Amino acid sequence: MQLFLDGIFLGSIYALFAIGFTLVFGILDRLNLAHAAVFTAGALVGIEIVTVFGVPIWLLIPIVLVVGAILGIAIERIAFRPLAGRHDAHFAGLISSIAFGAIILSLLQALYGADTRRFPADAFPTTRVEIFGATVSLLQVVILIISVSLMVVLTWLVAKSKLGRGMRTIAENPHAAAVLGLNVGRISSTTFALSSALGAVAGVLFTLNVNAASLGIGHAVELKALAVIIVGGMGSLPGALVGGLILGLAEVLAVNYIGSSWRDMVAFGLLFLILILRPQGLFGARKTREV
Amino acid sequence: MIAEYSSLITLIALTAILAYSFYAVLIAGQLSLAQVGLASLAAFTSALVVPSEPLFGFIPPLVIGIVFGMIVGAFAAFILGLPVIRLRGVFLAIATLAFGEMVRIFLINQTWTNGAQGLSFAKLVGPGVAWIALIVVAYWFWRLSGSRLGRAFAAIREDELAATTMGIDVPRYRMASFVIAGAVAGLYGVLLAHFSRFADPNEFSFTAAVDGLVTAVVGGVTLFIGPVLGSAFLSLLPEVQRAIGIDAGWIRPTISGVLLLVVILFLPGGLSGLIPVRKSAKRLNVDPSFQPTLPALPAVGSELVNLSGLGKSYGGVHAVQSVDLTVNAGEVLGLIGPNGAGKTTLVNMVTGLTPPTTGTGSVLGVPLTASTKAHRLAQAGVARTFQQIKLFNRLSALENVLVGGYRITQDTLLRRLFFLPSARRLEREAVAMASAQLVRVGLGEKAANAAGDLSYGDQRRLEIARALASHPSLLVLDEPAAGMNHVEAASLSELIRSLAADGIAVLVIEHNVRMMLATCDRIMVLNFGEIIAFGEPSEIARDPRVLEAYLGSAGSDEDVEAASVLASETLAHVVDDRAAEHPEHDGAAAADDATTPEENR
Repeated sequence: MQLFLDGIFLGSIYALFAIGFTLVFGILDRLNLAHAAVFTAGALVGIEIVTVFGVPIWLLIPIVLVVGAILGIAIERIAFRPLAGRHDAHFAGLISSIAFGAIILSLLQALYGADTRRFPADAFPTTRVEIFGATVSLLQVVILIISVSLMVVLTWLVAKSKLGRGMRTIAENPHAAAVLGLNVGRISSTTFALSSALGAVAGVLFTLNVNAASLGIGHAVELKALAVIIVGGMGSLPGALVGGLILGLAEVLAVNYIGSSWRDMVAFGLLFLILILRPQGLFGARKTREV
Repeated sequence: MIAEYSSLITLIALTAILAYSFYAVLIAGQLSLAQVGLASLAAFTSALVVPSEPLFGFIPPLVIGIVFGMIVGAFAAFILGLPVIRLRGVFLAIATLAFGEMVRIFLINQTWTNGAQGLSFAKLVGPGVAWIALIVVAYWFWRLSGSRLGRAFAAIREDELAATTMGIDVPRYRMASFVIAGAVAGLYGVLLAHFSRFADPNEFSFTAAVDGLVTAVVGGVTLFIGPVLGSAFLSLLPEVQRAIGIDAGWIRPTISGVLLLVVILFLPGGLSGLIPVRKSAKRLNVDPSFQPTLPALPAVGSELVNLSGLGKSYGGVHAVQSVDLTVNAGEVLGLIGPNGAGKTTLVNMVTGLTPPTTGTGSVLGVPLTASTKAHRLAQAGVARTFQQIKLFNRLSALENVLVGGYRITQDTLLRRLFFLPSARRLEREAVAMASAQLVRVGLGEKAANAAGDLSYGDQRRLEIARALASHPSLLVLDEPAAGMNHVEAASLSELIRSLAADGIAVLVIEHNVRMMLATCDRIMVLNFGEIIAFGEPSEIARDPRVLEAYLGSAGSDEDVEAASVLASETLAHVVDDRAAEHPEHDGAAAADDATTPEENR
């Protein structure tokens, strides 16, 4: 039971990161590799805010959401929009987002240095509770609640709201969407803002869970998130949620039964297997090629 | 001075070799992030075989390491390619990335690699060796770029489907680029390990793979020299910053990031795009003395296509039902019908792009089954154009037609590596044949223009020239006159007749009924996937079921237009004119029936 809960906690953070990743891919067909830098930025900025202002967690999350959203808009404007209409936009976007991510990371280094940082020791309550015979901290429960509710809100937004309808229209055909009068530029910006807001919050929650953040934390999670979105199905929001939970559980079980040195093999083995057996992922729809 | 920078000079060469490994897949339109993992495999396994003394007294240990490493790299790439080669775009990138990470984790957990502590290697590589290796690799890619293999890679990158219909076996070529990239990656791994004298599997990480990719992209893939430029740029950048006194830890990565962003946003072709090159190195060659003699086409009248009961259904929808058809060499067979009648599905079956669900058929001796590959039919002598133009947009018009000549030309890479005179002769012949086709469709002036920049009508004509370049026995044209005006359509009609006179069987889909009546020997009319009429143009023009299909469908403007053409009096003139022009075809007067369509109006 303890293993199961640990897996769920870890998996919910993977899922929160991956869902932002997959949102941009599903709607704009772009892989935003600066997402890892946003994750790191969320973590470090979050630590800074708590250290300087001592804000409680319920205030920290909205602040980090806003920081992430601003970063997301910057990424869209600077790294992706200038590429629109280029035949290699897909590919160039990968590289330009890598470059933009590197810039974000170097600026973070300028602000906070290259050392590992932590939240102040007494910033959050350390209450532990017992559920079904397993011990969990109150913080972990809060993390789970925040990430799951953010994902539910996002899924609802995309499925039901007017904004979500616009997003899905653009996903089908951006040219037709523009002809129909949708402001494609603004909806793209909003998508990036939402995606990065979730990525930044995932950074804070991840750091709360392990209580350490350095410039490199984004990379490891980015690789895992790629596995998650492939397993769940590229562009599928519920897929990212389920994929994240599956990966979290699988990793915790692997550490327990096989050994921690092989832990990372689980994500990539799973990813590889899915790509070969079911390339569209668990929840993805197979795209048909047109002649 | 040189000694001070010796390790930088070596690293530029090694990084460039890694970038070539990415370049090798990028030129075929694939994105693989496995290269660093393959390099790592090659480096650590080479430690097991590289002897400390020359083998047999004269083979240097490094040579053994390089040969072994390249074989390991190529073989591992082949094994990896078997499952992943069918993936595209980001999916391929992520699968190969996963492979790279799996290799890293595997090697870390092995005792023979000494795990995360790392392994020592003999110092066998200096600037000299590294640059010789780089020059050999760069030379190979330089000679590749103008060969038939290089053109096939470019064609696959631009449009896989069109490449298939040129007779290019796409999966095989994609695998070839994968294996070449693997061998180059293996070379890099062995050289790097024996240069830095120490390696642990964690150096060959995701970050290293991304750096290699960035180097290749910054250098650009339009010119073979790109990886060298990218490597020099990215390796010198931090050195230059240090030299001018920028020291703070964060400023250097910031400047590097900004510069990378600038390059990718404002230099679409990478740094190599800055090098002025002649737009198309190959000129039009219209000297008939270079034209080789081509094998004869099948005798006029011999049966090339034989379909019996051929059909295709998607779920419960019958796109095409039970078509019986023969097409003979030297005839023009028209296929008309309202939109959605199944015309394109039928020709897709004939060209092997869509497997039939019922019936049998054979095209140029190749049976049509579920497993018939389109490139097999293309190699047998089927060429086609597409309803939605599929050109290799970034290649010049002449290069497009050269790719079209894939079927009847030989590969020249090996000959080009050794500058054999026969390489020049073969390339000149290929250019001469391609030029002749461009001139034939009237695009001789525009040979150097990029295909994507041509006007719509010119693109249609270029597609026909590309199809003709394969010296086909059967030519399939899917709406060749779409977007053409009357004058252009008339000259297209003339071109089609002249092709048939050469002995080519032409299968045409077209909505321009007037043109079809004037051009075709026989016309088949499809509606809802069924043949509703089949015969000579004069019979078709008067067939009541045909008129009903066009008028009754109440479909698009094209239908209405076609119907009005059918119903108009000009119809009689069209058929009359044709009878006068081609007395050998039975077009006996249809004038007395010309009033019948009027009643349907």
